[in-house]
Amino acid sequence: MTRRVWDLAHGRSGDKGDVCNIGLIARNAPAYEILRREVTAERVKAHFGAMIKGAVERYELPNIRALNFVCRGALNGGGTLSLRSDHLGKVMYTWLLRMEIEEQG
Amino acid sequence: MKSVKLGTGLAFWGDSIRPAIEMVERADIEYLCCDHLAELTMSILSKQKSKNPELGYTTDIIPFLRGVLVKCRERGIRIVTNAGGANPESCGRQVVALCKELGLYGTRVAVVTGDDIMDRIDELLDQGIALENIDTGRPLADVRDRVTQANVYIGCEGIVEALEKGAHIVICGRVTDAALYLGPMRHELGWAADDWEMLGAGTGIAHCVECGGQATGGLYSAGWQDMPRLSSLGYPVTTVFENGEAIMSKPPQTGGGVTVGTVSEQLVYEVLDPANYLTADSTADVSQIKLDQVGTDRVRISNIKGKPAPATLKVNMGYRAGFVGEAQFTYTWPDAVKKAKAGLEFLAERLAQVGFRADEERVEYIGRNSMWGPELVSNPDDPELPEVVVRYAARCASAADARKVFTESVPLYNNGPAGASGIGTRPPVKELFGIWPCMIPREFITQKVEIEEVQP
Repeated sequence: MTRRVWDLAHGRSGDKGDVCNIGLIARNAPAYEILRREVTAERVKAHFGAMIKGAVERYELPNIRALNFVCRGALNGGGTLSLRSDHLGKVMYTWLLRMEIEEQG
Repeated sequence: MKSVKLGTGLAFWGDSIRPAIEMVERADIEYLCCDHLAELTMSILSKQKSKNPELGYTTDIIPFLRGVLVKCRERGIRIVTNAGGANPESCGRQVVALCKELGLYGTRVAVVTGDDIMDRIDELLDQGIALENIDTGRPLADVRDRVTQANVYIGCEGIVEALEKGAHIVICGRVTDAALYLGPMRHELGWAADDWEMLGAGTGIAHCVECGGQATGGLYSAGWQDMPRLSSLGYPVTTVFENGEAIMSKPPQTGGGVTVGTVSEQLVYEVLDPANYLTADSTADVSQIKLDQVGTDRVRISNIKGKPAPATLKVNMGYRAGFVGEAQFTYTWPDAVKKAKAGLEFLAERLAQVGFRADEERVEYIGRNSMWGPELVSNPDDPELPEVVVRYAARCASAADARKVFTESVPLYNNGPAGASGIGTRPPVKELFGIWPCMIPREFITQKVEIEEVQP
């Protein structure tokens, strides 16, 4: 069955220089396990394509069932230089919420 | 168990002052902590100071204090703020003047300095402090002649000292956001400067609350529809206990909500590695944080760990990085997409005619891909669209070139393709500042605290 990350999680994103971090918070424990399995740093990097120039790292916060993606080179040079309307990456997380994932079983 | 009650007053320069006014009237707090600074703010403030030596602080502190100070003094609430920005001394003088105007004699106003290293850059370079960019590894020489401001993210020790000396208002420059909260915690709870476990916990708690309404239902993606009265959002009220745990709530009869979900969203905001949240005062580990709903609009924050503070402090320098010129215009059916593209060609040709030069350009279609750009969402192509809004932006080395963008878009109103509107009025040409993040060993930085008691 194909679902979107949004069906399993909510989130928020922000900026630090040219880094955008995207936090996903799973809606429940089973959703967290699916997110951990399916939403890898590699998949996130691929999902954003040319928008993220650098590497993506993933961190886990298990007690609040959250994943944090640190996306480097993601803000067109950084919030203070970017020509993008979303120069602070405030809505970057919503693009990740749109990502489709395969739910096994 | 000892505890301290902290209210979040403001979360950025220009934030609403009403939540703080309601908080000092309705909530049981001992401190009002106010963060006015973001990465770009220091560059803007230093530019203001270069034009007028009395400016360079976030001027919203004055109407803010006008709204809360009498009540704060009456109720014994002390205020800690980084509104000093690039000019804490001038901010302090303005606050003293306001206290006199309000008749608040006896108020002790502290000014904490030591973060500004602009005048020491060459001396530091001579001493072998490379100040190289921690993101790119590039040497400072790349931008040295364009640097306009250099401020260290300093810790809470100056705030602690000011509070110990009885300050009612503590005005800082570029202290860390967390220090605004950690200072009162250390002062009230007796945490030592090397109690890493507690300082880490306090730093993590500060991170949960420092962005104001973002933790109490603002921007809540999981359930914004269910957040009551967002227009009257209450900001965080946090009781921090000496064991490093906290209860976060908000003032009574305010909008929004405090839930595990709202606090979780704030927790992941602007965090890199959650096990190593580096600040001047500690390395916080929020990776194992626990959040529990312990009542209506009450969340317990616990299980934050701490490690020693890093040996170096972070410096953000701002450097001049050119100007942005922008234009926006709208085309309507029929053939709105074709007209918009023709309008862009019209603009490009007119810019070429006046010798326009840009380092980078960007076209976004508002309502289609303005948040994503063509990298993620293709440009519009539906010929039936009732309207298409185009935003064109260019980064230019000179202000004169940036100004041309709007000037050359104006003729679209009369001379371009049919169905044009929404060009609007001339936007100000915005100067850009790049941020140069680098490190300095902490022994090179000493804070200074000066306190003035307001006299008739």
